[in-house]
Amino acid sequence: MIYKTGICNFCGTGCGHLVKVGDGAVKGVFASPDHPVSQGRLCVRGWHIHELLTTRERITRPRVRRNGVLEEVSFEEAVSLAADRLAALPPEVVAFRASPRASNEDNYLLGKLARAVFGTNNIDLASDAGHGNTVDVLLESGGLPVLLASVADIRKAGVILVIGTDITKQNPILGSELHKAARGGARLITLSSRVTQIAKLSGTHLQSSPGSKRVVLAAMAKALIDEGLEDRAFIGGNTVGFESFARALKAFDMGRVARLTGLDPEAIREAARGLARAGTAMAVFASGISGLDRETIAMAHNLLLAAGKAGREGCGLLPATGVCNIAGSFDMGATPRFLPGYAKAGDVSSAERIGKLWSARLNGRPGRTVDELLAASPSPLKALVVADHDEGIIRHAGAIKGLDLVVYVGAYDNPFADLAHVVLPAATYAETDGTYTNTERRIQLNRKKVESGPGILPAWRIWTAIAAKRGVSWPYRTSSDVMEEIAAAVPAYSAVTYGKLEKGFGLQWPCDARHPEGSPRPGPGELSGRLSFAAVSGEFAAPAPTDEYPFLLTVGTDNHFWHTNNIMKKTHIPKREYNALLLLYPKGLVEISAEDAARIGVRDKRPVKVVSASGSMQVSAKVSADVRPGSVYVPYFVEGMIPGFLEAHGSLLAGGEDSVVPVRIERV
Amino acid sequence: MHILPKAGFRRLTDALAERYALYGPVRHEISGEVIFDLVADPGEIDLDAPIPFNPPKGMVFPQAERILSFSYDRATKAVSIERDDLAAAKAFVGLRACDLNGLLCLDRFLLGQEYVDEVYLEYRKKMFIVSNTCVHPFPQCFCVCTDSGPAAVEGFDLDLTDIGDTILVLAGSPKGEELVRKLGLAEAPAAQAALRAKAVEASVGLFDDQARDNKAWISRAVNRITTGFIPNEVWEYIGDQCFECGACSFVCPTCSCFNVEDVAAGEGRSGRMRAWDSCSFEGYARMAGDHNPRKAVEDRRNKRFFCKLSFSQSKKYLRPGCVGCGRCVRVCPGDIGLPNVVTAIRRETTKQVPHE
Repeated sequence: MIYKTGICNFCGTGCGHLVKVGDGAVKGVFASPDHPVSQGRLCVRGWHIHELLTTRERITRPRVRRNGVLEEVSFEEAVSLAADRLAALPPEVVAFRASPRASNEDNYLLGKLARAVFGTNNIDLASDAGHGNTVDVLLESGGLPVLLASVADIRKAGVILVIGTDITKQNPILGSELHKAARGGARLITLSSRVTQIAKLSGTHLQSSPGSKRVVLAAMAKALIDEGLEDRAFIGGNTVGFESFARALKAFDMGRVARLTGLDPEAIREAARGLARAGTAMAVFASGISGLDRETIAMAHNLLLAAGKAGREGCGLLPATGVCNIAGSFDMGATPRFLPGYAKAGDVSSAERIGKLWSARLNGRPGRTVDELLAASPSPLKALVVADHDEGIIRHAGAIKGLDLVVYVGAYDNPFADLAHVVLPAATYAETDGTYTNTERRIQLNRKKVESGPGILPAWRIWTAIAAKRGVSWPYRTSSDVMEEIAAAVPAYSAVTYGKLEKGFGLQWPCDARHPEGSPRPGPGELSGRLSFAAVSGEFAAPAPTDEYPFLLTVGTDNHFWHTNNIMKKTHIPKREYNALLLLYPKGLVEISAEDAARIGVRDKRPVKVVSASGSMQVSAKVSADVRPGSVYVPYFVEGMIPGFLEAHGSLLAGGEDSVVPVRIERV
Repeated sequence: MHILPKAGFRRLTDALAERYALYGPVRHEISGEVIFDLVADPGEIDLDAPIPFNPPKGMVFPQAERILSFSYDRATKAVSIERDDLAAAKAFVGLRACDLNGLLCLDRFLLGQEYVDEVYLEYRKKMFIVSNTCVHPFPQCFCVCTDSGPAAVEGFDLDLTDIGDTILVLAGSPKGEELVRKLGLAEAPAAQAALRAKAVEASVGLFDDQARDNKAWISRAVNRITTGFIPNEVWEYIGDQCFECGACSFVCPTCSCFNVEDVAAGEGRSGRMRAWDSCSFEGYARMAGDHNPRKAVEDRRNKRFFCKLSFSQSKKYLRPGCVGCGRCVRVCPGDIGLPNVVTAIRRETTKQVPHE
């Protein structure tokens, strides 16, 4: 066999693929016909992952910065330097940033390194913005971040609410499932301010004004309750908190809907009726770097609970994770707030339980995210360890330059290495065994296909080597040994073994004594208590344009520039596609409606200045039918403009894809 | 026509293995997925397996390969260009008629026109092909609509037909005849030899019941695509469903488009790489100066089906560009595999015809 079974390493869909191997090298890729999620499909990224795996733009040697220049050193020397200098600093000023493309084993051990060896809870995940919010809402509701639906539910749902997300670009195979469900008779209701492909393929497109999704969802919930369409039996039998949710909605005046959302209230009511009256219904949204804010997710969750559309086949919330192992990284505790298995980092008994497993006394103070630490003025941070930073954007690059120690561990050449004092090469996912947990909690084993270059180790071995330098000896011989410990640390993984994983296409957690072969859909009855309606603020505002800033700007991604430019640019065909856009709009673009463009007097490809209260940038206008008048859209595919403009709006953009920056567009 | 007892099939593969690297349909040991792949042990080849998920074209026209390398010595200004040694001679064993027809389309495109693709020729001239009659169709098959099965007509060295305990062996080339002689296969009695045609007829008869996933009555589509009488709304309907992944091209046995890129290999060396390309990509038809005659998705889809089904293209392939294997249906994230496109065209072109 030259085609070897594996799991695509790009987005969180977790498609199955076959990697072609010859002469010890990757030669190509093909879709895996029978994989339960992808069923023979891959997207443009997945069909070209071999181009990434064969790139020469790799980090191949350990390096240490001396007199401003990175010099090749031995692995021992680089690891010693990193370990000693980290140990010399107090734990509060050290932070670790995990990669959402790294395996569960890699990220479990990075968390253990941060917490058990260097005594800090300052560990987070790149690109985690949206998924943290998803986890919060679901934890609050069910005591377990149970992502209540599986991919297979999509084709069993009568109505599917697609909340934002350019899903046919971000998670194309999930988008395909939605499209096929619609072809099979399901009703798709897409709620988005842009005309995305899935909006075109949906029977109903609620084209709301930017930033108003949660208001639309609130209006849907209110309409549902006003018309007595809530599922009393489900609510009474499985949930708590409905009354306070209904009370919060009471304050909401449906008369304001049209002004806040730009939608006809009757269209919202009709969609709510459709959702409530369908036998089964789901909601899908992006969870990850372009996810939603907590309040919007809470509203979607509550809407489904009120409609009784949770915990059974064809029902539930499906957060589509943007990167392959975002979900698993959270499970592994790559976040300041949680130890592995969502045990609260500040909770004494959790710290004791995990501490006992790790033979260490854990720091009881919850940590802070790397961005929080870097954004503080002055930043308390002194040292940062970063694994595989794939985003094209390095946020707070200025603050990172001022750190005493930056350690970069990664497989591919990366501008982050230019900021590092110690650089260590790591194996790619095809050069080591590891597990990845997809958007539907499916833990999948990806076996090693090819050898890594001489001296290049998988990240989990690098973390083990750093621990060893601090006198902490970890006993793992293989990544399977690491999974054994994960099973002891993470209750939902307690029955997972490599032996089981390699016999099929993965196991969906909870995979425990009760579900030794995993569970496609943990129902409300399996949770520790009732599902609670998530708390909502009771404030129903949406950003509104002003005379000074008459446009609402949103930000997003696409197929070829996705949110990991650093890796997409190392391919050939996707890079060409990315360049096709870049050549037309070399300095970036802002999509604007024909109506607005005519009013301002700009034509396609003409330069315009985008001005907000906190900054401005010059890009080209792209006259597009995909944005509604009054709103503009910036795909963030040009690195140069990111630090220059978008970073200045960090707090405005923190809410993910429904974040809005009020701007004006000036002719240049 | 000769006969080979089924139990003696291994003699055939073993004989081929002496001179060729063996490729054939194999089932994955755990998943059961059928892939056309290199086999370590000839016993892995499964003649009863359904149509492999990947077409065999990847073995003669790889997804990505270096077609030459060159270097430049700055000091001496010497330039050298080298071609890679291609891998060993290959035998394809158990090729279905659709896939063999796909290979013949590739031949006509890459070898049969003004320019001969030297790299492809190098693979092809060293090959041995054993085709395998489909004695029953598989659910996705529609080769009877595209004249490419269920049995091979040309292009094989040996052709096999399973008639129970016995395999009928038909030699299609001097190389095939030589192997028949070497194996000492007995001549099939006339009554037995007639069973090949009967098996083919029986197989065609099973399509209605067993090949239910796809139908592609292509005649009208060929007419309309050739004459251009398809309203743009039909292409827009199809384009809206295109996810621009390229899968239809990659799994198509007849798609032959590729991209060429020079990739630096360090130390003054470079490799000229070629890789599968797809007309579904915007960058595929983009020209210098940013002109793109096929920028919109629907214009790119229009191009694909022109290539598969227009008469002008069929003249080059000497047959339609679709061989009825059904792969594009399974891999398409939209719902626009060729049979659905043919249906959309037929519906559109028939809807104005008055009927009772």
